[in-house]
Amino acid sequence: MKSILPVLTIIAAVLFLWTLAVVPMNMHLTADQAQRSGAIVTPDTPVARKETNGIVLALKNPHLIALTYVGKRPNLPSPHQVGLEMFDTIFGKKITSKRSLVYHGWITLAPTLLGFAIGTLLGVLLAVGIVFSRVMDKSVMPWAIVSQTIPILALAPMIIVVLGAAGIHGVLPKSVIAAYLSFFPVVVGMVKGLRSPDHMQLDLLRTYSTNNVQSFWKLRLPSSTPYLFASLKIGISASLIGTIVAELPTGAKAGFGARMLVGDQYGQPILSWAALFAAALTAAALVGIISLVERGALRKMGMKPA
Amino acid sequence: MMYVIAGFAIWGLGWLLNLYLANSKWSDYRAMNIAVPLIFGLTVLLVWECFVIGFDVNPVFLPRPSDIVLRMAIEMPRLWADFVQTIVKGALTGYILGGLAAFAIAVLADRSEFLTSGVLPVGSFMAALPIVGIAPIFVKWFGSDWESKAAVVAVMVFFPILVNVVAGMRDTTSMQRDLMRTYGAGYWPTLLKLRLPAAMPFIFNGLKVATTLSLIGAIVAEFFGSPTVGMGFRISTSFGQLALDMVWAEIVIAAIAGTAFYGIVTLIEKGVTFWHPSQR
Amino acid sequence: MKKMIIAAAIAAGLGGTSAIADGHANSVSLQLQWVTQAQFAGYYVALDKGFYEAEGLDVTILAGGPDIAPPQVLAGGGADAMLNWMPSALSAREKGLPVVNIAQPFKRSGLMLTCWKDTGITKVEDFRGKTIGVWFFGNEYPFLSWMSQVGIPTEGGADGVTVLKQGFNVDPLLNREADCISTMTYNEYGQVIDAGVNPDELVTFKYEEQGVATLEDGIYVLEENLNDPVFVDKMVRFVRASMEGWKYAEANAEEAAGIILDNDDTGAQNEAAQIRMMGEIAKLTAGSNGALDVADFDRTVATLLSGGSDPVISAVPEGAWTHKITDLALK
Repeated sequence: MKSILPVLTIIAAVLFLWTLAVVPMNMHLTADQAQRSGAIVTPDTPVARKETNGIVLALKNPHLIALTYVGKRPNLPSPHQVGLEMFDTIFGKKITSKRSLVYHGWITLAPTLLGFAIGTLLGVLLAVGIVFSRVMDKSVMPWAIVSQTIPILALAPMIIVVLGAAGIHGVLPKSVIAAYLSFFPVVVGMVKGLRSPDHMQLDLLRTYSTNNVQSFWKLRLPSSTPYLFASLKIGISASLIGTIVAELPTGAKAGFGARMLVGDQYGQPILSWAALFAAALTAAALVGIISLVERGALRKMGMKPA
Repeated sequence: MMYVIAGFAIWGLGWLLNLYLANSKWSDYRAMNIAVPLIFGLTVLLVWECFVIGFDVNPVFLPRPSDIVLRMAIEMPRLWADFVQTIVKGALTGYILGGLAAFAIAVLADRSEFLTSGVLPVGSFMAALPIVGIAPIFVKWFGSDWESKAAVVAVMVFFPILVNVVAGMRDTTSMQRDLMRTYGAGYWPTLLKLRLPAAMPFIFNGLKVATTLSLIGAIVAEFFGSPTVGMGFRISTSFGQLALDMVWAEIVIAAIAGTAFYGIVTLIEKGVTFWHPSQR
Repeated sequence: MKKMIIAAAIAAGLGGTSAIADGHANSVSLQLQWVTQAQFAGYYVALDKGFYEAEGLDVTILAGGPDIAPPQVLAGGGADAMLNWMPSALSAREKGLPVVNIAQPFKRSGLMLTCWKDTGITKVEDFRGKTIGVWFFGNEYPFLSWMSQVGIPTEGGADGVTVLKQGFNVDPLLNREADCISTMTYNEYGQVIDAGVNPDELVTFKYEEQGVATLEDGIYVLEENLNDPVFVDKMVRFVRASMEGWKYAEANAEEAAGIILDNDDTGAQNEAAQIRMMGEIAKLTAGSNGALDVADFDRTVATLLSGGSDPVISAVPEGAWTHKITDLALK
C-alpha cells in the first residue's frame, strides 16, 4: 500500500509532461490541417514550417494549441484520447467482438502463457543439465547466450513456415517463439539458483550421506526458488513480447501486435496506442500475479525474495 | 542418404568428443572453456550442412552454412556498412543514452525512498511496452535514420540498467556507511567513494543484459522504416527477395557483434570490480 | 541445439510437402500478400457468397502480413496457391523456386508515387536530389527498374534519389521526411487524402502512365503440382469461382467492402476506406477475365530486364506462366 502514493505521484508527473509534449509534437500536422480549413498560420507555407521546431510554431500560433489535442492522426495522441479509446474498446464493446481489446488480449495471452510454460520447462531442464553435466555447462551455456543475440524477428518467419509446413498452425507456432525469448532468463536464473547453496550446506547433506538426486530435491531446488521467481518475472514479459513479435509473420490477424500494426498502417494511430498500452498493462498484470505467487510461495517456505 | 547418415555420425562424434574433454584431466584448462563450445558449434554447423544436403532442403528455406560463409565473404563491404549503421550508430548511441539516463534517474531517485519506490514500477511499465509498438511511433517522430533506432534502444535498455543501479546503490552495509560518516564525508563524497564503486557489480550486471537488448532493439526497429542500409533493413529485404543466405549472413554478424559487445563489457567488469568474490 | 531441432522439423515438413499441398482433392488454401483488405475482395466474396462451395471446394484464405513471404509459404507447402506481384514471382523463379502464374485477375497496376507539389517536382527528372520512400519486400523492383531506365542513380546525392525504406504507412510524406512516397491508388493515396491533404497539393506519377508498370496480383502455384491432374482440376474450379467473385465484387463495391469487414479479424479496418479501396481495385481488375495476357507479360519482362546495372531478372523466363488452368476455367 505504501508504494501506491509514490507510483501515483510519478505517474501524475509523467502524465503532466506527456500532456505538455502533445503541443509541439502535433503542431506541424495541426497547422497543416488548420491552414487547409482556412485558418491563418505563421509561417504560412508547409515548407517554411518544416524548418521551424514545434515549440516555436506553438508560440507563434496560440490559437491552434487546443486543436493539437483533438487531431485524428496525431503524432502524439493526448492522454485523454488514448484513455477514451482504451475505455471504449475494453468496456464499450462486447468481449467477443473483433473490435474489443479484451478479445485481442486473449488472442495474445494464450500463446504467451503456453510459450511461457514451455520456455520455463525448457529453461529449468537446461539449467539442471548445465549444473550437473560438465559437458553441457561448457558447451551449451555459451551458445544459449549467443542464441539471444540472434534477432528473433529474422528467425520467426522461418520457424512459422517450417511449423506450418508440418501442419502446425494456430497457437503453437507463436508459443514456440515466445518460448525462445523466455527460456533464457529462466536458464540464467536457475543456474545461479541451483548453484546458490553454499559449501557448508552441501557438506551437511553429504554428512547425511544423501546422493545427488536427494540433495537436488531437498536443497538445490528449494534454495533456487527466489532466483526462479526473479527470472519468471522477466520471462513472462519476454514471452508476451515474443508473442507480439510472432503475430507479424503469422498474418497479423488478431492480437495486440496485429492491432498495433494495422492501426499504424491504416492511419489510426490512437488505436495503435491503445493496443500498445493494453499490452504493457497486461505484462505488468502478469508480472504482478507472479509477484503475488512468489510472496505466497516464499512465505510458505520461510524464505525472503532474492 | 549418405549425407544424412554422415550428419548423425558427426553429431554423435562431436558429443562424445565433448564428453571426453569435459570430464578429462584437461577440463580445467582455460583453453577448454573455448574448445568445448567451439566443438559444439562446429558440430552443429557440420550437421546442418549434411542435413540440408541430405534432405534436399530448398535454399529458400534454409541455406547451407557453406553458402552463408560464401555470401559473407562476397558481401563484406555491404555487411560492414550495415554494421556501422545499425550497431555503431543505432545500438551503441542508444545504449549510452539509455544508460546515462537510467543512471542519472537512479542517482536522483536514490535521494528519496519515495521517488525510488515510485520510479521502479513506472520503469517496469516502460520496459513492458512491446518494441513492435514503439518502433513505428519512434520512426514517425525521429525519422527513418539511426536516431529513431537509438531512441528505441534507449527505451529498451533504460529499465534493466535502472533496476540494477538502484539495487546496487542500496547494497552497501550500514557499517560501511557509518564508516564514511565517521570520516565526516557528506552525501557526494560518500556517493562517489563508497556507494558507486560498491554498486559496480550490479551496474555491470545491468549493462551486460542491456547489450543484447540494444542489438535486438536496433535491428527490429529497422523493420519499420529505415534508409537503405542497416542490418534490419538487409534482413527484411533479403528475406523478401528470398535471399536467405544474406539473411543468415546478417544473423551471423549480429550474433558475433552481440557476443563481442557482451564480452567487452565483461572484460571491463573484470577490471573495475576485481575486488568482488565473483571475480576472484 | 536450436538448429538441430529446426533441421529435424524441416525434414519432417518437407517429407510431406506435396502431400500436404495436395491435401484433399477439394481443399484449396490461398496465401494472400497482405492483411485482409479489399485488394483481395474477389476471393473473400467468392468464399462468402458460396461460389467456391458451388464448385465443391473448401477454401481457406490465409492472410499475409509484414513478415510473410508468400513464395516461402508456397515452398514450404503451407498453401496451394499464392498471390504475388509478377516481378517478385519471376525473381523467386530465378532463385530456384519454380512458381508458375495460372491466372491474372489484375490487368492494370495501381502503383504510383505521390509527391508534394511544393517540392517543385513536376516531372521525373525532378526526382534528382529528392528523398523517395519505397516499400521493399518485393515492391521495390518496379521502382528500381524505372530509375535505372531513366538513368537516375538510387544511391543518394544531388544527382540521384535518396531511397527510404518506407514503413507500412504514409507518415514519411505527412511528416515531410520524404518528398515522395510509394502509394497504391487504392490504399495509401486515399489515406493521404484522409489525413486532410488536398489533392491539388500533390503531384502523382502513375507507373502505368510512365510506361514502367509491371503486373501485380496474380495467382501462382508450384510447377510440380501442375503435373498432378487432381491438383489441376481443383485449381480450375478455384480460378473459375474466384473470377466470378471478382466480377461480383467489381459490380457490388459496398457489399464487397462489408464482406471484407466481416472477415477482418483485427477489427481495425473501416468501411469507408474499404469501399473506396474496392472502387479503385475495380478499375484495376476491369478488362481481365483471369487469363494472363501474354502482351502484358512481355511488357513486364521487358521492364524488368532493362533494369540496367542491377536487373531484377537476368533472362527472359521460360515456363513462368500457363494458360492451362484458365483455358479450362473460362470455357
